[in-house]
Amino acid sequence: MAAAHPPRPAAPLRILTAVPVCDGHDSAVTTINIELARHGLEVIYLGYHQSAAAIVRAAIQEDVNVVGLSSYNGGHIVFFKEVADQLKKSGNGDIPVFGGGGGTITKADERVMKRQGTDRIYFAGTPLDAMMAEIKKDYARAAKPNAKFKGDRALARAITIAESGLGTRHLSLVTSPQKSRRCFVVGVAGPGGAGKSTLIDELTSRFLRSNPTGRIALLANDPSHPDSGGAILGDRVSAIYAQDDRVFFRSLATRGNLTGLSAAAPAAIDILKQSGEFDLIFVESVGVGQESDPFRIFGKGRKLVDATLFVLAPYYGGLIQLQKIALLNGADLVALNKCDHPMAHTAKAEIQARLDQNHREQKLHPTTAAKHFDPGVDALFTAIAKLGRLDVSRGGEKACSMEVSS
Amino acid sequence: MSALGKIADSVDAYNKFVAAEVARARTEEKFAAELRAKWAKLHASIEMTSSPTGTPLPRLALPSTDEPGAIAEYLLGQGFPGQFPYATAAYREMYLDREVERADPSALASSAAAAKSPRAEVSPRHPAKVNEEPMRLFAGLGLAEDTNARFKYLQRHQKSLRLSTAFDGPTLYGLDSDHEGVLGKVGEGGVAIDTVEDMTRLFAGFDLTRTDASVSMTMNAPAPVILAMFIAAAKHRFGPGCVPNLRGTIQADMLKEVQAQNEVIFPVDASLRFLCDMIEWCVPNMPKWYPVSISGYHIAEAGATPVQQAAFTLSNGFTYAGLLKARGADVNAFGPRLSFFLDCGLDVEYLVLGRVCRRLWAIGMRDVFGADAKAQILKLHTQTSGRSLIAAEFQNNLTRTGLELMMAYMNYTNSCHSNSADEPFTTPTEKYALLASHGQSIILEESGVFKHTMNLFGGAPGLLALERQVEKGILDVFREMDTLGGVIAAMEQRYQRSKIQEAGHNYEKQIYAGQRPIIGLNKYVSHEPLPSVPLARTSPTKQRLQVSRLKAFKQKHTKKSPDALQKLENVARSGGNVFGELVNTVEVCSLGQITACLTNVVGKFRPMV
Repeated sequence: MAAAHPPRPAAPLRILTAVPVCDGHDSAVTTINIELARHGLEVIYLGYHQSAAAIVRAAIQEDVNVVGLSSYNGGHIVFFKEVADQLKKSGNGDIPVFGGGGGTITKADERVMKRQGTDRIYFAGTPLDAMMAEIKKDYARAAKPNAKFKGDRALARAITIAESGLGTRHLSLVTSPQKSRRCFVVGVAGPGGAGKSTLIDELTSRFLRSNPTGRIALLANDPSHPDSGGAILGDRVSAIYAQDDRVFFRSLATRGNLTGLSAAAPAAIDILKQSGEFDLIFVESVGVGQESDPFRIFGKGRKLVDATLFVLAPYYGGLIQLQKIALLNGADLVALNKCDHPMAHTAKAEIQARLDQNHREQKLHPTTAAKHFDPGVDALFTAIAKLGRLDVSRGGEKACSMEVSS
Repeated sequence: MSALGKIADSVDAYNKFVAAEVARARTEEKFAAELRAKWAKLHASIEMTSSPTGTPLPRLALPSTDEPGAIAEYLLGQGFPGQFPYATAAYREMYLDREVERADPSALASSAAAAKSPRAEVSPRHPAKVNEEPMRLFAGLGLAEDTNARFKYLQRHQKSLRLSTAFDGPTLYGLDSDHEGVLGKVGEGGVAIDTVEDMTRLFAGFDLTRTDASVSMTMNAPAPVILAMFIAAAKHRFGPGCVPNLRGTIQADMLKEVQAQNEVIFPVDASLRFLCDMIEWCVPNMPKWYPVSISGYHIAEAGATPVQQAAFTLSNGFTYAGLLKARGADVNAFGPRLSFFLDCGLDVEYLVLGRVCRRLWAIGMRDVFGADAKAQILKLHTQTSGRSLIAAEFQNNLTRTGLELMMAYMNYTNSCHSNSADEPFTTPTEKYALLASHGQSIILEESGVFKHTMNLFGGAPGLLALERQVEKGILDVFREMDTLGGVIAAMEQRYQRSKIQEAGHNYEKQIYAGQRPIIGLNKYVSHEPLPSVPLARTSPTKQRLQVSRLKAFKQKHTKKSPDALQKLENVARSGGNVFGELVNTVEVCSLGQITACLTNVVGKFRPMV
């Protein structure tokens, strides 16, 4: 009999890419992101104009194999050193940093930068295939438990282990008997392009404002490319409020799992809950269709989440299409996002009518997440807080300082 | 249909009109006679000159024809220089040698339309101004005094006062030099400006009220704050009456920032509001100032093809015109205050890009926005392509830039910046900045190509064929964006960004595959070691000095700044003109304080993936 299980392919290498603070040159990094994903890497792209602190935070939470920086407007010697130093100081010096800057980084700079903790500099004219092969070879590593990791990195490593299919026996490392916060887990699903990520980010800002000490975790699931196995996990780029130490953000590639979540998502949820760190967890599914049930809310088994938020945009295609969406029956909360769209008026009425058929007193929340300070998002957050009995009394408008640099 | 669809239709309608007029010229004897008479008059107005070797030449070349259809085709399709639809040139006799008025937007705006004599009347308001130099050399490094010294160095070779400022990263993102984590970027790639005091140091020793002075600032998201600082600094030095005399340009093109360059602070609607506030304030108060420079440069540098560059830039310009008009502004008042900025690379389309853009802008402004002649003219600044320069065998960059300059001048750009050969490694060092400036002088002053006869090339069959193709390509993009709901709707759908990224990716792939030869990089490579050029870098001591100056400024104004910020916040919240208040706020507040205040009111920009 043929072997039932082919050998498990090595887990994809995870890389964080970013452009340093005060630098908006993203055309090189965009090209390189595409190439990395094409070569089977999971690319967590943080975006341009990123501070060293934000890069280090993301590298830790994403438990990446390596950080790649693309710098084009100078100051690279100081900046690369700052990233390497902060990684080291926080006990995460095992994460190497490499980078490139076309011609702006000279050979002489490279010598200084290597002495100061940068692993490698790529110069203009390096063939992309050679670069990819080198990255894959040099930065591969096994995701083993490491007792030295503390805080978010320990959580992140536990999730990495869960992702590599080695089970959850590492869970004990992150369980903290001292911290036992009540944690409310909200699953967020909806079709691709409905604005789930933006809505979650706006809800995150409401949480941070209303609770000046609490922490929130976000699990963002995105599809892997079926051919290369790589993925560009870009949710962090537009998650402007997630750049805060009180936010734990983890991007998960689905790696061929077709449920709408990574196969490791249930374990990752358990890890985050067990840590006792978080008051609220949002789990974002990939864009889902009519009969998906990523959070297992139908049927008799244990649900993955405490509540489900279904998000859709006004262009869902008509009444019949609405009828087919199973999650509209099961969702605890339904948001119609992009309400500044001309079709929103009709959509509101149609969706509310569709919800009324369920006799569950589901109320539709109209939101325009792309608009800052949207009152619809305020109302949705209040509804979530009520449902999860979140402590939101301690905060106030000033609790979340608006960081000027993203 | 969005304005873009109407503009594309208006161009088609205009082209049909030209074709009909050409046919009429060939069939209607009366019309043919009129055209011949006009043609003879134009020919008679052309003065003769001669080359240094004694060859007699006309100061303006016209197609050599007497056939009425060809005359109509030229006059209506291309336009006599300075006449609708301006494909040939925005003004007559640009770049010509001595004693003749060269292109000057503000001086000629009043005289060009009526110019019958080949020697355009010099505007009576500027009796001293005769020659408008097109050369603008972009400079910015270190602290304000370092850039000031570079300005003085570059200025030695210019007849008129031309100061073009590059800012460092923290300034471009509206951050103070003491913002956490930005110290290494202070003074890198441009000058660090935190306060009105820095602005005063930047232009120390220059008489900004000279009629031949022109200051340009490559500044976008914080442009209103920086221009307010410029005004405040000028008032301190020259008195409050100087403001209407300040001449220059600030880039302030937020649409292209969102589409390509990524220096965005506030959400799109707030960014556009602050920009429109500034334009509306400048139109009556600073009649010689260009409060926006609608820029394709960064769109092209980020990867766009020449056609995409032109299409996105023009469509952004039409969008600003639409926004201002919707706010009740008069197109004939703000129209002449809009200026444009294009990249010029080595692709063949660059031979005609400026010409095609002038034509499309003129038709759209006239036929869709109802603009009069002064508001139809696209005033163009060109910069040679930074992306075309490479580090390997970098002295080849001198040839690349020289060729790009030649093409920019063939498009009769109103002003021009030439890149330094060492830019792939560093902010230009003195040596290469000077070579870049001399490149322009060699082409315009040393060579005879441009100084004796205007329009040596216009109307050549190859150029006309290219113009038609490029125009068609641009209109196709307009129509595609129209189906998406116009420029801003398309932008929200990431249309421009994804097109630019796709084109940039293709460009890189072509280089890697060797389909796009880059000498010294993928063809005829001589494997020379990278050169060691002296780098213009800002020392940590200077960076700390900037921070200590900023802290002293904040300390000095610690009592007054909270009130000033509160006033600004009130204006921003009540929907008033933010720029009108910024002029006061900058007296006692730093750039970073102002950015933080406005961010609290309008929120932050959310980047698009």
